[in-house]
Amino acid sequence: MAEKKRRWRVTRRGFLIGLGAAGAGLAVGVALGRRPFYRFMAGMLAGGEGGPVSYSDDPFAWFEITPDNEVRLYVGKVEMGQGIHTALAQIGAEELGVDFARLEVVQATTAGGPGGTITSASNSVSSTYGPLREAAAALRTMLTLEASRRLGVAADRLEARSGVITSLDDPVQQLTFGEIVAGAAEWPELAEPPVLKASDQFEVIGRPLPRIDFAEKITGRALYGFDMRIEGMAYGAAVHPPSLGAVMKSAAPGDAAGRPGVLEVVIDLPNQFAGVVARTRQQAWTAVNALEIEWEEGRRWTQAELEARLNFEEVPGYTIQKEGSPDAILREGPSLTSEYWTPFAAHAHLEPIAALADVRGDGARIWTATQAQESVRDSLADLLDLPPEAVVVTPTYLGGGFGRKLDIEAAREAALLSRAAGRPVHVGWSRLEDLRYGYFRPATRSRLSATLDGGRVEAIAHDHVSGEVAFSSFPTFLTHILGTDFGAWRGAFNFYDGIPHRSLTTYLAPLPLPTGWWRGLGLLANIFAMESFMDEMAHVAGADPLAFRLAHLGDDPESRRLAGVLEAAAERSGYGRPLPPGRAHGLACAPDVGTMVAMVAEISLSETGEIQVHRMTAAVDAGLFINPDGAKAQTQGAIIMGLSSTLIEELTIEDGRVAPANFDTYPLLTLDRAPEIEVILLESD
Amino acid sequence: MELIVNGRRMALDDDYAGGVLLWALRDGLGLTGTKFGCGAGICGSCTVHVDGAAVRACVTPVESVLEAEILTIEGLSPAAGPLHPVQQAFIDEQVPQCAWCMSGQMMAAAAFLAANPAPSPEEIVEAMRENYCRCGCYVRIKAAVARAAGVEEGV
Repeated sequence: MAEKKRRWRVTRRGFLIGLGAAGAGLAVGVALGRRPFYRFMAGMLAGGEGGPVSYSDDPFAWFEITPDNEVRLYVGKVEMGQGIHTALAQIGAEELGVDFARLEVVQATTAGGPGGTITSASNSVSSTYGPLREAAAALRTMLTLEASRRLGVAADRLEARSGVITSLDDPVQQLTFGEIVAGAAEWPELAEPPVLKASDQFEVIGRPLPRIDFAEKITGRALYGFDMRIEGMAYGAAVHPPSLGAVMKSAAPGDAAGRPGVLEVVIDLPNQFAGVVARTRQQAWTAVNALEIEWEEGRRWTQAELEARLNFEEVPGYTIQKEGSPDAILREGPSLTSEYWTPFAAHAHLEPIAALADVRGDGARIWTATQAQESVRDSLADLLDLPPEAVVVTPTYLGGGFGRKLDIEAAREAALLSRAAGRPVHVGWSRLEDLRYGYFRPATRSRLSATLDGGRVEAIAHDHVSGEVAFSSFPTFLTHILGTDFGAWRGAFNFYDGIPHRSLTTYLAPLPLPTGWWRGLGLLANIFAMESFMDEMAHVAGADPLAFRLAHLGDDPESRRLAGVLEAAAERSGYGRPLPPGRAHGLACAPDVGTMVAMVAEISLSETGEIQVHRMTAAVDAGLFINPDGAKAQTQGAIIMGLSSTLIEELTIEDGRVAPANFDTYPLLTLDRAPEIEVILLESD
Repeated sequence: MELIVNGRRMALDDDYAGGVLLWALRDGLGLTGTKFGCGAGICGSCTVHVDGAAVRACVTPVESVLEAEILTIEGLSPAAGPLHPVQQAFIDEQVPQCAWCMSGQMMAAAAFLAANPAPSPEEIVEAMRENYCRCGCYVRIKAAVARAAGVEEGV
């Protein structure tokens, strides 16, 4: 059914009603609101340079009801561990009036499903909550109106529940959603906005329901990009540059073709591509080393050279936050100046990037673990000289994403190999390839200066320099329009509204190492710098770090929510009360995408000076929690990844290339170093 | 070549000779529940049982296990029967996030509990600390292994 062509009709309310072939059921979808600027960008992006950004007016999700009363929710959002399919099912089931367990969530392909979406930036729930509820309510209203006509019962005396519309006055009078759909030929446009369920009536939203994808994940049946198999497939591997910026000058097969299992040797110099196709993956990985490639290598960059590029002198700075006149005050000599540094980092998702491609003369099918299926489609259409609609991308489950699976590389390699070999080819990167040839979280440097007066911060200035985050995947003209890289300065806006004079100046350093999206983008580096500096200022002022923060928050609703999470985390953690000898508490807070978070860490130092984290207490105010247990799981996991990054991970450059080749040289935090974690959820309007 | 996997003798193509067990299982036999993470025996995503012991399939030569009883996640529970207590505990504690590492986590836990049915919290940490989880599900992994063992989780 997913492959069936569907014609969409836009109603006056802006919903999309999809009418399939007769008997195929009814679908109602909804497009996310697009602001004029996004439309402008979409138009420009359609011009060509691509990147993991795609804007369209397609519905981003749609419901489908079949005559035999099956209810499906087609989504473009991909499941990479964040529980998005479960959360969307809860929202949809609640507002439509079907049982949560009976609403089937279907991952849409680029051909047979909703589009116009990428899965990134931690905003899947917050950006889809309203539109999805409205689409569900519109569908429920249309079904109710049709049931009213058929049953001869006033619509306001009907109730939709468990996929059945029933008369409140005479419960024998009822029709299933499927029966209503089967009997209706024409659907009216809604003249009025659909009425949403009152939040005090919620039965599904706000409950800690179990994840819908675990039955197949716990038994090993779930299919990820690395797992995809089809008849007649083979395995591919491609060469990668030996150093940053190296260009392939020539390529020859060497004796690769004679290696065991090799089916095809592919050399495509215009695409800077050479690879092999073999019967097994190990054969392909071995044979690819037999290719004879001549590289023109550039400068052998060193770690010190890259770090030196993160300075405030060689690139222009853009002041993007200015309250009061911090410059004038700080010119008289700040009370305190500190610098903070964060290193490069790898995503280190445990499923390396992977794709299966079946390229034929007239089209291509791609199965891949991707956060940006439309970007894969468009890029491959370009590469293979096919119309976009001839390239069908099926997103699979992702074994971790963290921003890394916004690119197209595995699909590109699989497609080039499949086209040449005339058969489906799977490419799954080795750990070495995944660590070395992707893109990385950029290193950053922050310089903060402040003037204190009588225990209060009077002025604060933050200069922040980073490698590219969002800009690396944007076309040049768009970076000129945007001016500054919002990914790099995410989280850097000073939120202490009680400080009268504040500024933020952002610098973007050109780096030879590809950098880009990494979980939270600039948030981790910027909050680390700003909140560390708050502690240093509190120390200078002789104040308690919690009281010092509370004293500098403003009085607006967001500030009050921040104060709320700070106080909750402090209270639950025992902050301020005596600790065992050698233990200490530290705390920090941050707002992001409308969610307020505060954490208290209980730590000690080992005899060798190593930080040991014993306990983390987090308070999270996300407004409304669709699934409280899912929110706790995400918070627990984010704490572990944040600690791993802070305490252990550092990606370095050596002799012109990324140094680590596997987890022995890029270790991750392990279970024995994981602290106890307590997560407190606070709701707000 | 043949492998005995999940109680069945299965024919393996000669192309997998000289390779490691992981790709023989995944690509040769289509049992993709066993995952690839590092290829170096570090992360534990590929953990399977060989004659009851947890091993890393990515560094296990196929030829070394030709007559051994191999158990993968697909065979941890009987096809029509109840879930293995470890799998049930991982669902009850809602452990996974992306779940890529979870086959390896559960196979490691199952082998550990078979040998040590009533472990202390310290023993659970020691047994599970060499399986990476990038999503950071460690708190719940500890709780689930304790639950599967039927012991109270300590501090």
